[in-house]
Amino acid sequence: MTVAITAGLLVAGAVYLFMQKEMLRVILGFILLGHAGNMILLAAGGTSRREEPFGAPGDLSAVADPLPQAFVLTAIVIAFSITIFMLVLAVTGREGDDATDGSPEERTEDAR
Amino acid sequence: MLFLALAVTLAACPLAAPLSRLVGRQAGAVLALPLLLSAALLLAGGSPHAVVEQWLPWMPSLGVGLGLRLDGLGLVFSLLVLVVGAGVMLYSTRYLGRERTASFYVLMTAFAAAMLLLVLSDDLVVMFVAWEATTFCSFFLIARSGEGAREPAIRTLLVTAAGGLSLLAAVVVMIVVTGTTRLSEVLAHPVWGSDAAFTVLVAVLLAVAAFTKSAQFPFQSWLPDSMVAITPVSTYLHAAAMVKAGIYLLLRFSPALADVAVWNVLLVSCGLTTALLGAVSALRRHDLKELLAYSTMSQLGLLVAMIGVGTPAALTAAVVHTVAHAVFKSALFMLVGVVDHEAGTRDMRRLAGMRLRMPATAAAMGLAAASMAGVPLLLGFISKESMFAALIESPWGPGLAALMTAAAALTSVFTVAYSARLVLGAFSGRGDRLVREASPLFWGVPALAAAASLALGAYPAPLDAGIGGAASVAAGSEQEVHLALWHGLNAELAVSAVVIALGVALVLGRRRVDVVLAPLRSPVSGLGVVDALRAGLIRGGGVVGGWSGSTSPRRHLAVPAVCLALIALVGLPGLGELPPVAGDRSRPWDWALVALLAAGVIAAVRVRTRIAAVVVTGVVGFSMMLWFFVLGAVDVAVTQLLVEVLTVCVMVLLLKRLPARFARQTLRRRIPAAVIALAAGLATALGVWALTGRRGLSPAAEYYLREGYEATGGSNIVNTILVDFRALDTLGELTVLGVAGVAIVALLRARPLAASREVDRVTGSPLEDAWQNGAFLRTATRVIGPIIVVMSVVLLFRGHYEPGGGFIAALVGGAGFALLYLAAPRDHRARIRWPYLLLIGLGVVLGTGTGLLGYLEGSFLKPLGTEVLGVSLSTPLLFDVGVYLAVIGVILASLNKLGRDDPDPAAEPPQDPDAGDAADAPGRRPHTPHYHPTHREVKTR
Repeated sequence: MTVAITAGLLVAGAVYLFMQKEMLRVILGFILLGHAGNMILLAAGGTSRREEPFGAPGDLSAVADPLPQAFVLTAIVIAFSITIFMLVLAVTGREGDDATDGSPEERTEDAR
Repeated sequence: MLFLALAVTLAACPLAAPLSRLVGRQAGAVLALPLLLSAALLLAGGSPHAVVEQWLPWMPSLGVGLGLRLDGLGLVFSLLVLVVGAGVMLYSTRYLGRERTASFYVLMTAFAAAMLLLVLSDDLVVMFVAWEATTFCSFFLIARSGEGAREPAIRTLLVTAAGGLSLLAAVVVMIVVTGTTRLSEVLAHPVWGSDAAFTVLVAVLLAVAAFTKSAQFPFQSWLPDSMVAITPVSTYLHAAAMVKAGIYLLLRFSPALADVAVWNVLLVSCGLTTALLGAVSALRRHDLKELLAYSTMSQLGLLVAMIGVGTPAALTAAVVHTVAHAVFKSALFMLVGVVDHEAGTRDMRRLAGMRLRMPATAAAMGLAAASMAGVPLLLGFISKESMFAALIESPWGPGLAALMTAAAALTSVFTVAYSARLVLGAFSGRGDRLVREASPLFWGVPALAAAASLALGAYPAPLDAGIGGAASVAAGSEQEVHLALWHGLNAELAVSAVVIALGVALVLGRRRVDVVLAPLRSPVSGLGVVDALRAGLIRGGGVVGGWSGSTSPRRHLAVPAVCLALIALVGLPGLGELPPVAGDRSRPWDWALVALLAAGVIAAVRVRTRIAAVVVTGVVGFSMMLWFFVLGAVDVAVTQLLVEVLTVCVMVLLLKRLPARFARQTLRRRIPAAVIALAAGLATALGVWALTGRRGLSPAAEYYLREGYEATGGSNIVNTILVDFRALDTLGELTVLGVAGVAIVALLRARPLAASREVDRVTGSPLEDAWQNGAFLRTATRVIGPIIVVMSVVLLFRGHYEPGGGFIAALVGGAGFALLYLAAPRDHRARIRWPYLLLIGLGVVLGTGTGLLGYLEGSFLKPLGTEVLGVSLSTPLLFDVGVYLAVIGVILASLNKLGRDDPDPAAEPPQDPDAGDAADAPGRRPHTPHYHPTHREVKTR
């Protein structure tokens, strides 16, 4: 329940930020979406068993699934490098990080 | 033996380029040898009525293999391909000029190999690949013929590639339905008789494929268009070999499809239409080569119609005519090439102004044209006779038989007329300019082919066995063939006589014929249709692209969010009974984390300044770290913590280049955004609640937990998964990381960073001076720096057993570099100037190299271990070092490229006490005066 709520909150925040015109907020949205994805991965492994997966096998009934953890670990680092890449996109080229394409309809939507 | 023949032919291909660099156009003489050798091998190893098979697994899991099968049909076609190919190679040595010939020879040999593979292949997938290879060779051979050849080459490619798609569809359908990719098994499958829908579908698809390749109506237009290619190419591809691929395909599938009405109707109607259309068009041409192109279309039309009739007699006639056509048409193309080469033109209107004294060429062309016209004593006569006979005896009643025979006969009347037009057009000139005979080496090959038309026409017995074998395969039953010049007085002889008489009449009255035909214009031009389709397709693409052409991210990102909500809406009723939740998924203190995270998310969407947004997103990141910790993912939590720190560091570097505040959003925009966001969030929460946590430990997890320690000696199971069990995944991720780093560097080299904002600062405070400002951090770094380095190394080495590993160690190291950067009084003084691209490259190379080491024990990335001087070294550790280097390289790349302005060569050297540090290039920030505390003019701004 708590994990589901967490993932839902993160996705809602991410999608709201996606709808904004500044590239930085879109990037922050992607960071939140990455968190949500990681949370869902861990949820897929099950969150009722929460002991660290270390050492020789003993009683497995309470040990967490190590496979999603490995996925999430690499996912975090990749998301980090992609975040930097997007940040670079935001600060190169046009002045500021307004990401709208300047089409007339988008401008009128903003003006309303 | 079959593999050997194929290998010999293929060997010519890599040989062609160096050879033609070495000896120029003469390379053709050498390259003819492997083709002839291959033909000899097939002749020695195969026999018309036996089958030789060889099989080499290619994709065993799919049952696809390099299966070769030589039967009667394959033998006839492969001999045609190889012998005509060798002849064209020899001919090319004289035809080509001094220009570069390498690409020509490479493509021609590649084409011969592809064609051989096509006719020998016993695997549908291999056959399709070979088919496409011939398409591409044809495209490149046309396209290399110069500027004007570009459009025809593209049109040819479009038409034949469309046919290739049709063949692909047929191949897929056949494989799916019969469950095998072997051509011989597919053809023997009982489904052909039992499943009418399947049979009709495959028949239509195969017919379309063959029609595009063999230039049949309505796909005929590319063939005359492709005549821009040089004559050897036209001879081989567009007369003897590639266009015959379609004929081969039809003959190959004839046993399964000859009784299918759709097949008969399509082939006969399209074939006869093309035959008539081509013959009439040929009569109107003034360009000798174009005339031959239309004649090829017409003759192929007759062949297709014969295959459509489908009786053993008709199939036999088709095989005979295939051989006859290959012989006389290759001779004619080459001879037109000789005339073109010597006279400098192949337009009969210009040739009329010259006198060609070329007795050998003229005689050879006369013979070959007579064979095309079906004059007795020549091979073309025999094939035409057998076609008439098969049509007269066709199985669909006397009415249809008479109609078809009449169409074929009319085509033949025109054939006689255009054959004469060809010879007369070339040699009846009465002008002043004298054109002398070419060297015998030039006309030798086509003359040989023309002579063969005569020899085999007069004494056709040597062909009996081969043609009988091919006809048996095409008919699906044993056929005895006895070709003969004289069959007695019968109906087909009468038709032949009428045809020749009418043809001669047309020749005699050719001026009248020209007058009648000249004003005829086709209402639709095939080429126009192809071009219109192409332009329409591109326009359509533009329209479709326009729907999603915005560069605004929010427009694109809204789509998946809405879709997510829709999927949830649609999927909700289908959920049905859910399995019970396994264990207790929540703990009481989880709620504290949810609350913390919710506060962070709400703040992140509501804040109005960029710096606040970065900070509150950091809050979310730290809550995530706590979540991971609570869920038992220690390594993940540590990674999250470090990434969070570094992300904030990098963002801060960039914030000064962006406006401080976000733009105000109208309510009208905020409300839909909020609705979509809430819907997507709700869908996610619902999905996670319904679809996860409802099972025990997965078998994979159980395996890792039980066997991981034993198998790898590492007690940190997550790390063993990363570097031992699933190292290939990690290597892939490492590469992505490296590519991202390189992309960041490339992007920043290509595009300048946005300028920094002007900031109002309080003058006179210690904060203004970077040196004083950083005193505390600098002192702290002196103490902490070494500790961080040691920690980073320790974390790297203990990762296999306790929390740590390459990722975490590198992030700690990266945090150390970030600290160094922050503590430095000036950007360019920060000791972060490492060769970051080299580090990234080393990391990826080390990871891959470690993987290659695994081959010592049998497979890529297999973990190996050894003890050196009592220290245990293992490849997973080495691999982790690769991870370490790549990650640190990316962090250094971003700190270096984003945190330092590249020195501006135009600017004067900075006047400050720190200048003169030889190791560091002096950086200047024209827009950030606060970084130059000694510049007093700052205050005047």
